[in-house]
Amino acid sequence: MKIRFKNQPLYLRLSVFSIMISLMSSCGVSNLVIEGSFPTPNINKIPLTMAVYYDEALKEFSYMEYSETGREEINIESGESHINLFNAVLPAMFDEVIEIEGFDDPKVLEVDAIFAPVIEEFQLALPEKTKLEVYEVWIKYNMRIVDSMGDSLADWVVTSYGKTPTETFRSVENGINEAAVVALRDLASSFSLNFTRIPEVQDWLNSL
Amino acid sequence: MLASCTSTTVDEFRQGETGIESDESVVILGRRQASDFETKSDFVECVGDRMSQGENAISIIPEREFIDAMFPWFEPRTAPLRASDLEQLLAEDVVAQKMNEFGIRYMVWVEGFTETTGRTGSISCTVGPGGGGCFGFGTWEDDANFDARVWDVISLRNVGTINTDATGQSYLPALVVPIPLIARVETNACNRLAAQLKDFVNGE
Repeated sequence: MKIRFKNQPLYLRLSVFSIMISLMSSCGVSNLVIEGSFPTPNINKIPLTMAVYYDEALKEFSYMEYSETGREEINIESGESHINLFNAVLPAMFDEVIEIEGFDDPKVLEVDAIFAPVIEEFQLALPEKTKLEVYEVWIKYNMRIVDSMGDSLADWVVTSYGKTPTETFRSVENGINEAAVVALRDLASSFSLNFTRIPEVQDWLNSL
Repeated sequence: MLASCTSTTVDEFRQGETGIESDESVVILGRRQASDFETKSDFVECVGDRMSQGENAISIIPEREFIDAMFPWFEPRTAPLRASDLEQLLAEDVVAQKMNEFGIRYMVWVEGFTETTGRTGSISCTVGPGGGGCFGFGTWEDDANFDARVWDVISLRNVGTINTDATGQSYLPALVVPIPLIARVETNACNRLAAQLKDFVNGE
């Protein structure tokens, strides 16, 4: 079967041409879903009932890395891995953890507070650009603790960092995934160990 | 693949008496705090494997199993940097309990990397309808330098440091087919460091 464009209207030819161009350009983008397993923290529990709220921005968080010429290069999806991480960490930190769908969820009345993490920034450094033999990932979070009315109890920034060395048979995607998993573990360690040292959290805990 | 010559030097600095019982074990951990490199887990695993084999074999806890079980206390930003930090760490009930379960007597911190320098020469390969082939010559030098610090978990002291430095020149001549003559510096550094660590921990 042959497709003839000569006799087709101009708008149709332009549409087909633009679709082909967009398909060709999208061929260069690789999609990476961050995957990793996160151990349960080995820490003493805080006697609190905490609700956790993952907003859509966190659940569907993705970051696009561009090449030096501005072309879309790698799309990194890390929303699900963040939720897996918090689901492993929070039950080890608090006596009881309940996931809520929103601040109007009736279950918020049964908890001491609501934890609502937000990703503010994601940065990636690739060996081909930095000339260092490591893949690096930085993630900046805003950790928020609010009461059942949505009023802020504590609000602090956590920056996590992960790196992994280049290896002979390691792909770029694998290097980024490993660095991101190290960054997520770094978040879990600093969040779980420093939670009660945050001045605002200390003030709130003392007021209970 | 053929092996090229490697020269390895091992230095030991003992700061305390050592010895290990049959029900005690050792954990070997890679340092990952440096900004521009990190100790490869493959090397740490290699040292552990060699120490757990042969005469006077020692029970080794795999690095990943230990770090996951102790999570979040041995992550790059939370791991103790000095032997004296162990006292504060072991004051945490959950940490002390896990260490007892593993039966850890010595904690060995390995830090280092392999650097490739002096890359010279060139090889060109062509493929045609009648066949293909390569012609040329390449050479480079590898230098593997690793430090191992041994902490006694009972006395909470650094009982010694072992340094291993292995260097070797690799060659890649190509006359139709490339013939690599690779200096296995990292493998030699691993073997020598593991042998020395095994003797050190056994108190020999």
